[in-house]
Amino acid sequence: MTNTLTCENLSKSYGGVVAVRDVGFTIAPGEAYGLLGPNGAGKTTTISMLVGLLKPDSGTVVVGGADLAADPMAAKAKIGYVPQEIALYPDLTGRENLRFFCRLFGLPRKEVRGRVEEVLDLVGLADRADAKLDTYSGGMKRRINIGAALLHRPELLILDEPTVGVDPQSRKSILDGLERLVADGMALLYTSHYMEEVERICHRIAIVDHGSIVAEGTRHELVELVGGADRIELTLDGDVETALAKLRGLGGVTEAVRTAPGSVRLIAEGGRYLLPAVISTVDGIAAVTAVEVVEPDLEATFLHLTGSTLRD
Amino acid sequence: MLRSLLTVSALELRTRVRDRTALIIAIIVPVAMATLFGVALGGDDPPLRATVGLVDLDGGEFPDGVRREIMASTELDGVLTLRDLPGREQAQSALDAGDIGAAIVFPAGFSASVGAGRGGQVGVLTSADTPLAGVVANAVVDRISSLVRARTLAVRASLDAGVPAGEVKEFVERNGAAGPALTLENDPMAGGRVDLSVYYGAGMAALFAFFVVGASFRGLLIERKQGTLDRMRAGPIHGWVPIAGKAVVGFVLAMVSVCVTWGSSVLIFGSTWGDPVAVFTLLLAHVLAATAITMLVASRARTDAQADGVIMVISFVAAFFGGSLVPLYNLPDLLQTVALFTPNAWTTTGLTGLAGSGAGLASVALPIGVLCAIAAVAFGLAATGFRKGLLG
Repeated sequence: MTNTLTCENLSKSYGGVVAVRDVGFTIAPGEAYGLLGPNGAGKTTTISMLVGLLKPDSGTVVVGGADLAADPMAAKAKIGYVPQEIALYPDLTGRENLRFFCRLFGLPRKEVRGRVEEVLDLVGLADRADAKLDTYSGGMKRRINIGAALLHRPELLILDEPTVGVDPQSRKSILDGLERLVADGMALLYTSHYMEEVERICHRIAIVDHGSIVAEGTRHELVELVGGADRIELTLDGDVETALAKLRGLGGVTEAVRTAPGSVRLIAEGGRYLLPAVISTVDGIAAVTAVEVVEPDLEATFLHLTGSTLRD
Repeated sequence: MLRSLLTVSALELRTRVRDRTALIIAIIVPVAMATLFGVALGGDDPPLRATVGLVDLDGGEFPDGVRREIMASTELDGVLTLRDLPGREQAQSALDAGDIGAAIVFPAGFSASVGAGRGGQVGVLTSADTPLAGVVANAVVDRISSLVRARTLAVRASLDAGVPAGEVKEFVERNGAAGPALTLENDPMAGGRVDLSVYYGAGMAALFAFFVVGASFRGLLIERKQGTLDRMRAGPIHGWVPIAGKAVVGFVLAMVSVCVTWGSSVLIFGSTWGDPVAVFTLLLAHVLAATAITMLVASRARTDAQADGVIMVISFVAAFFGGSLVPLYNLPDLLQTVALFTPNAWTTTGLTGLAGSGAGLASVALPIGVLCAIAAVAFGLAATGFRKGLLG
């Protein structure tokens, strides 16, 4: 299958400071790809080069078979760009905003009205279409911001932090909508500070740090990078000190600490499978009143690879 | 491409009309200011002190008549000075150097030729820099021309009637045809009057053209801040479309502004700005220069507030040094030289000349040329700035 987006060796420097270095990845039709990275990692610079806002110092971008540098009009016609800010006119209505971008992007005059209605339905704003944008809630503004990028039926949708500042209900609505678009065959490039959004939406994820992709793969593949150690949180009632000493000697447990008078934390390989042995080890010494097994997650991987949390 | 550009222009126009800035900055304020200045200070002529060169290669009665009449004219007393010059080349040099404002050239044998009924031609040298002196020189020559025509006709009629050639001069003068004595009209500078309502009207038109067109480029920077510019540029349109779309609206609104100021000055004060085609073309060139200069500011500014401030400063500095607020002749010589670097000075001088002389488009070719050159340089620098910044 031909990739919708292929970018190779993208680099960009500002006065000797490297912002992006040799970034390259592909996105297939119907695939969602996530870019994860701390602030200043080069995500926005990368996106700016992909949508033609910045000229890369080197590298190529091909969208739907059209080279962005050689034929920018053809390539851009296949890209829908959702900027981080609400990049629409606050004193126009939702319908007027969409109509403006339809005309600007060259949709045939006859199709404008129909396409505007389609997109309003798609983002669930048909009933508020004639209200000015500055009367919209944060979630509604985010939805129409995405809608404006869909007007010219792009093959690739690029979203830069599309859910910043929205309530959980609107976030769910936006993510549901994006999943439907991907299911219908659209390619998606997604950046977000919300790890759980990226984990939910994206098939493949690239972790970006200091302008380079430091790891790439599915969620499972990325988590594997930091090994399979689980965290087990135990709440005990009885002789906690003796139980802790016994647990330290249990095979598979690499670390055991008392975190509270009645709580113990274990780090163990394959923690979920070790639970029966853990319970039998403390049997007769203390009663297990609660247990939680926390598997390694993308947050841990991110921390491991970049040395910072996503919201640093 | 054209449809995208018109779409951007239509939105810009709608925005400007909706927020009423177009109405206020383009029409109400310049008309009100021009009217207030006109009422408060209008009706007075700028002081005229012209020096006109006289080249007498003829040595006959006609040059003597002109000299006598000008010396005797009470209207020209203290206003017009005659300076004798030996030849046409010297007159042209003096004109180029600004020593004289115009020159009248009597060719050799002029008086004899007219006396013999063969007519004759008097030359006039004028400069676009000193239109009022040109008006005086032309008024004098017009008067000479009508005398020459009358005299030539009388001589020919006398000769045809059989009067001997040797007696025809005496015969003609005895029978009442105008002799070489020249009688100037009461006010030879009637065409040279420039009401200050025209001066301040032109000044306000020149000043507000900057504000009107500057508002559109400020809008461009606001769009950059709110992200709509990037959304446009990420779409399948040429990068110049948003800039050109805004520039077109700014240019058109500024043209409306200067034309309404012009029209209001004519209607309210009953004054004329001169040949309409020449006035319109000069205003067009001024607005083009104002568009290019404000575009240059927008291409280098980081924020809309910064662009606003810089455009404000440039507008007022150009207006002050360019004679839009204070008449140029009130400025010291040094500042009059500085004025040559402002579009306002060329526009104001050109418009004043048109109003005073009644001359046509050709008389303002130099100001129009300079304004177009300013526009071309500023457009070029703006294009470089946009490529490095906004479109980089």
